[in-house]
Amino acid sequence: MQQLIPAFGFGLITASILAIAAVGFTLQFSVTNILNLAYGDIMTACAFAAYLANHAGVNIWISLVVGALFGAVFSMLLNRLVYFGFVRRGTRLFGMIIVTIAVSLIIQNLLLAIFRPTFFTYEASQGPSYQLGSMVFTASQLAIMGIAVVAMVCVHLLLTQTQLGKAMRATATNPGLARSCGIPTDQVIDAAWLVSGALCGIAGVALVLNTATFSETTGAAFLVPIIASAVLGGIGQPYGAMLGALTIGIAGETAAALMSPAYKDVVAFVILIVVLLVRPQGILSEIAAAKEVAA
Amino acid sequence: MSDRLTTSKVGLSLAIAAVLVLAACGSSTQGAKPKTYTGTLTFASFNPFTGPDASFGPEMAAGCIPAANTINQAGGVLGHQVQCIAVDTRGDPADAVPAAQKMIASTENLVGMNGPSSDEALATVPIIDRAHLPMFADSGQAAFDKSTYKYFYRLTPPDDAAGVAMAIYAYNKGYRRGAAVFGNDLSSQGNVPNLLTAFAKLGGQIVINQTLTLDQSSYRTEVTALVAASPDVIFTEADPQTDAAYLSQLQQLHGLIPVIGTQPTVQPPWIKAVGGAVGRDALSKNFAAAQPFSTSQGPAWDVYNKALLAAGSEVPQPDQWSQDPYTETDYDAIIIMALAMLEAKTPDPSFYNALIPAVVGNATGATEVHSFKEGMDAIAAGKKINYVGAGGPIAFDEYQNSTGAFELIGYSTNGSNPQLAVVSAEDIAKLRR
Repeated sequence: MQQLIPAFGFGLITASILAIAAVGFTLQFSVTNILNLAYGDIMTACAFAAYLANHAGVNIWISLVVGALFGAVFSMLLNRLVYFGFVRRGTRLFGMIIVTIAVSLIIQNLLLAIFRPTFFTYEASQGPSYQLGSMVFTASQLAIMGIAVVAMVCVHLLLTQTQLGKAMRATATNPGLARSCGIPTDQVIDAAWLVSGALCGIAGVALVLNTATFSETTGAAFLVPIIASAVLGGIGQPYGAMLGALTIGIAGETAAALMSPAYKDVVAFVILIVVLLVRPQGILSEIAAAKEVAA
Repeated sequence: MSDRLTTSKVGLSLAIAAVLVLAACGSSTQGAKPKTYTGTLTFASFNPFTGPDASFGPEMAAGCIPAANTINQAGGVLGHQVQCIAVDTRGDPADAVPAAQKMIASTENLVGMNGPSSDEALATVPIIDRAHLPMFADSGQAAFDKSTYKYFYRLTPPDDAAGVAMAIYAYNKGYRRGAAVFGNDLSSQGNVPNLLTAFAKLGGQIVINQTLTLDQSSYRTEVTALVAASPDVIFTEADPQTDAAYLSQLQQLHGLIPVIGTQPTVQPPWIKAVGGAVGRDALSKNFAAAQPFSTSQGPAWDVYNKALLAAGSEVPQPDQWSQDPYTETDYDAIIIMALAMLEAKTPDPSFYNALIPAVVGNATGATEVHSFKEGMDAIAAGKKINYVGAGGPIAFDEYQNSTGAFELIGYSTNGSNPQLAVVSAEDIAKLRR
């Protein structure tokens, strides 16, 4: 029981990474209606981009920016060059899911072919440890949590205070109507992919900073908790994704403290199923809709 | 009515008898003729090449390729050149079963294989056995200790023997409070039962037994529980990313304590991942691993190592496998199958399989050979042979298992693995359940 508070703290770190990733995932879904199952692999590709920068002598935090930029450009190009063609032909949600799975496998195997089946580590120190009550955080973990908070605030400001955010919300709600009102939906969709890709890149590098090593499958292994967070919060709802990430991250760690680590995922996903049984639309969908946050 | 019943009973009996006769014919080679082969013979490396245990496959292929090269340099088997192919099981029975079926159905001149690994052995060994394909498994599962599969062979010790060797070494080093930290995969968990029993029998105490969900982003809660249990040694096997995350988080929260791993923890990907995460200095001070003992010297090893190092274009960084006992025995397996083909005068597995034990049997008057070429010459001269492999002498028990001692090795920052201790097969046998 005395491990509960430290576990809560550790859950916050996991939740921070999950939140960055899940908000990017759900933001893009809400605007484009594409459930991008290649998201985890794009995270890995971003982690590799940051790795190349880092091993070229670049500081890890600047490498994180490199990862974010790579993710933004890569995601937008992926949509433009691959997904958009299918959308234009009227491919439905299920068909698009299959396409994204194919893209996921292509990215994973390309990374495997380029980087070979081994493990990679950033040249980065975790920094000193800080005790906050019973919780212990390293400097890099505090930085990850700080980045998550900043990213969430930025997403909030983007959605509520900018023309682009309003255009995104309009496109998410009714793309046809948005287009007839003069909103350039294609550019809005590009912007959604850029923002989502940047968050994906930040999440990929933060994930690797947390796990210490990574390989071509690291991001894909993290995809299920990301989707779970997004679904739990109400798919398409950025604020819901934040809450979902907190729930999944903290539930897993506290379950590991109270029970066996073997039940970590079990408990987190049991909570997901129970919540969805009670609220199939997810935790925040009504609140988000009332505040006109997203779809 | 009665007549019809009698007639149908007779018919049924005849049908059953016919089926039994056909089945008997199908399972016997007596009177049958060996299959005719044209072209190159194929050996498969059936192992994970992707997924959490992706390091297993390259380790196995690194044994097959130099073996095939030495066979081809000696003129091949009965006039056939040989080749190795990689069959990826992804370390998952769900992928491995269709991979096995596809391999068997579509691989031309498939005459033998290395694998499967522990990840997929339970699901695939029956399929491969039914296909009459000799397999040299690197599965350590205790389920195969008394295997009755006719085409199943194992040159490496079972996983649960590694657990005992780890316990003995730890106890001899003075550790009394152990923490078992193993991944939740089949291969890792195979070590746990005997580790727990053996350490307790020796007088030690397992203060915490953790089963880790693989590839999580954080193990800090598990690490906190471990630190609270105050172990003086950690026993572990998990995939590289899991152990790297776990041990680096232990280092952050408490500092490392001695770690004793299994053979997968001395493979380059594990060393690279964990060494990168905790630092190579820290790893060298705190790490030991149990692996099957192989002298990595002698005439057969010399042939193996020369062929391995010469295979640089096919085996990336071949020197990393020079002293790997699994790669050595994977090499031996191919040589053994090829020599058995010579003894049987056919590459047909249904015929040469029965002669596999004979080429490594230390029969009276048998000529000791250390390479395919030596064996081929001896067989041509009408001699019985006893192949002593790169991994050492081989002696199959009645279940076609050949096991031996374990060694405990450490890790040096220069990349070498100094030997720390040897645990004898007898000591392990005393403590195995």
